Amino acid sequence: MTKEIVARLKKIVGKEYVMDKLEDRICYSFDATFRDSCPDVVVKPANTEEIVKVLQLAHQHGIPVTAMGAATGNSGGAVPLGKGICLGLTRLNRILKIDVENRMAIVEPGVITDDFANAVLRTGLLFYPPDPASSKISTIGGNIVECAGGPRGVKYGITRDYVLGLEVVLSDGRVVEVGNQVDGDMCGPDWTMLFVGSEGTLGIVTKMFLRLAERPEAKQTILAVYDRLDDAANTVSTIIKSGTIPTTLEIMDNQTIRVVEDYLKAGLPVEADAVLLIEVDGSKVEVERQKEHVINVCRKCGASDVQVAVTNEDIDRLWLARRSISPACGKVSPTKFAEDTTVPRSKVPEMLRKAREIADKHGIKMLLFGHAGDGNLHPNIMTDRHNHAEMEKVELAVKDLFRAALELGGTLSGEHGIGYMKAPFLKWELGEVGFEAGQKVKAALDPAHLLNPGKMFTA
Amino acid sequence: MKKKNDDQLLQEAREKVSQCDRCGTCLTVCPLFGVQDVEKVSARGKNTITRALAEGGLKPTADVLAAANFCLLCQTCVTNCPNKIKTDEAMINVRQYLMDCTGGASAKYRAVGWMMKNRGMIKFAAGMLSLLRKSGLNRLFPHGMAPEEYTRTHFLTAFAGPAALGQQTVTADVPLTATTKVAYFQGCGMKMMFPEAAAETVEILKTKTQLLVKDNVCCGIPHLAHGLREDFLSLTKENVALYEEADIIVTDCASCGGALKHAASYFTDDPEWKDRVAAFSLKVMDLTEYLVKTGYMPRRKVDATLTYHDPCHLVRGQGVKNQPRELLSATGKFIEMKEADTCCGGAGSFHMDYPDISKKIIEKKQANIEKTGASIVVTGCPGCLIQLNKAAKASGGKFKAMHISQVI
Repeated sequence: MTKEIVARLKKIVGKEYVMDKLEDRICYSFDATFRDSCPDVVVKPANTEEIVKVLQLAHQHGIPVTAMGAATGNSGGAVPLGKGICLGLTRLNRILKIDVENRMAIVEPGVITDDFANAVLRTGLLFYPPDPASSKISTIGGNIVECAGGPRGVKYGITRDYVLGLEVVLSDGRVVEVGNQVDGDMCGPDWTMLFVGSEGTLGIVTKMFLRLAERPEAKQTILAVYDRLDDAANTVSTIIKSGTIPTTLEIMDNQTIRVVEDYLKAGLPVEADAVLLIEVDGSKVEVERQKEHVINVCRKCGASDVQVAVTNEDIDRLWLARRSISPACGKVSPTKFAEDTTVPRSKVPEMLRKAREIADKHGIKMLLFGHAGDGNLHPNIMTDRHNHAEMEKVELAVKDLFRAALELGGTLSGEHGIGYMKAPFLKWELGEVGFEAGQKVKAALDPAHLLNPGKMFTA
Repeated sequence: MKKKNDDQLLQEAREKVSQCDRCGTCLTVCPLFGVQDVEKVSARGKNTITRALAEGGLKPTADVLAAANFCLLCQTCVTNCPNKIKTDEAMINVRQYLMDCTGGASAKYRAVGWMMKNRGMIKFAAGMLSLLRKSGLNRLFPHGMAPEEYTRTHFLTAFAGPAALGQQTVTADVPLTATTKVAYFQGCGMKMMFPEAAAETVEILKTKTQLLVKDNVCCGIPHLAHGLREDFLSLTKENVALYEEADIIVTDCASCGGALKHAASYFTDDPEWKDRVAAFSLKVMDLTEYLVKTGYMPRRKVDATLTYHDPCHLVRGQGVKNQPRELLSATGKFIEMKEADTCCGGAGSFHMDYPDISKKIIEKKQANIEKTGASIVVTGCPGCLIQLNKAAKASGGKFKAMHISQVI
């Protein structure tokens, strides 16, 4: 990175928004995964026009550009492996419009997910369903390019399902608007979806048109306790095929329950082999019906105990337990591999069985939990990255997990994205032809391979 | 010059931050990150810098020191962190290491440190401030360091009204016995800037006990925070020796209380002082802790709406949250403000080092105070009181700022 380039960047975005000192740059060399790669310079533009100029300059000089939001990703999507420019997007943090009549909103990528969700709630009528665990910190832009999910995915889908259109700056600095603000638009192929989950490898998303959902009138939270993990897993698909789609349907295995209980002392049933945390929402009448139905199915499938959370404190306590899994894991071991292998809902019991077999086979510690309702499981492998012998076993176990998920018709990632962590396995899922097609798309949009190198099709 | 245990301090700091998962929970809770969205400001960034220094990837420079200094030590990140990473303690170590590597503490900190080590100088400064206040010249001082005091007399004139005495108050759970020797620890900030409030503290304590008043030295927190660790250790020893006869040591300064209660942890590898300092630390209580424990009844009920600002070193540093609120609820109409436990941006000398940033933080606090409609914002730390006085002034008289001992 020459002094001249840095000077020109300063001219574009202003001196205080260009950081080239080492102590600044190392703070932008990571996300929530474990690998670091220090960018040559950090640039924090304020708007689309500045991003256009930065990309034009980068294009002219062949400098790699990696976009970053709050750097909370779990697959390494924002780690600037190609060095060059780290493009911090947190200054683009305006909610431009919340349109109740048309049930849509226009936001910039640096808006924090919860800030946006809360702004939508204040309309009283609508809500924004995607609820990734990091929503207090993560940015909407990051959610879109990693295609984040969350517990509510069972009923409401994931971030992808709420993107109507995007404004994107391409690698040479030209701006394109894909999709549009109209729900139900379908003019040509769905270009928008090309950029959702693209991790900034195809363009820099600078504006989003998002769909909003109707806010449900009531909800109920239920905890079902099982002596056998298998019974809990069977409950998941039975509930849905017999007529109720819960808002959330979370599973925690015995090891997970114990780790959380150690951390939180919330009074969880530590003897249980598994629990399901189920929430239903809708009109008051509808919620009552769904609740009865869920309780019946849980009992029929072998639940030893079914509790309905009555008070707000009870509900909060249950959700706190769920949200505490990740932090509780930090207490168990220094490095965690948070996987998000996803299978068709009907295959959840089989996938859980296989995951346990894999953990036993390699002799590693693996917690099993996740959004079972949409088949999105989180086998979390607990290890220490400085223990090389164990890390080798972990790598083999991860491969086995991916293979098992794909064999069951599933996918490598339900919500964390590909990043550097899953890029080596992308071909397994897409096949040779699919992968080559992806490379061609990448080459068409970013022929010089400047955007987020080392990820997705250029790993 | 680098000292022999500096590397050990740095390794300790690295150990403290080693469990950082980089999840980012600390970003949105950091008051400084809230006004300056730059990663090295956040705890996650500071942990990264600590690791890089310890692993040799980053050289100790004045710029890195500036990054370590840009921290309120308010512990909000620690409380919110899933792994409870003590970034504040790591920063204290890193500051010491960097100051020694880059040529010792700056002249400014050394000068302030020297003054605060010295009983005579503290008294002299206190005398000067009182003169300045009387002459009205205090308004010329920058950073609100010579604040006007809103005294209990002012307060009672405005709010006492005809309210009856002896109304419902807090109840004691563990009455201390009649023979318990209670001593007062007077912080430099209270002595220099808020002598009226300190006098109220003494008066309150005297209603409860035969108070021992000692001529203590500084608690040493300003020294510890700015790379003058040796001074902190020697001041602590002096105070420990001075208070050996006391059973309980009460202070009305959150920062002093925090420093004294935690002093023991800095002597664990000193065979001569380890036990003495540990015994000392265990005797320390905040004024409000002591008062609630002894069932103190506010001297009179007032017809004022009160709100409370939690000093970082009291709420997070010592876990004292309910006691001040109980006392205030028994005194007047208490209203909780939003984000009561968010740092006021004072943080020792931070508000003088970074006045612009500090101003942005106190402006948020001011807005939260104004929203309660309270006529008095109460706190238990002279550092906070300086900031809150600025807010009170900026509010154009909507509220006043007072130390808790002036109110109850």
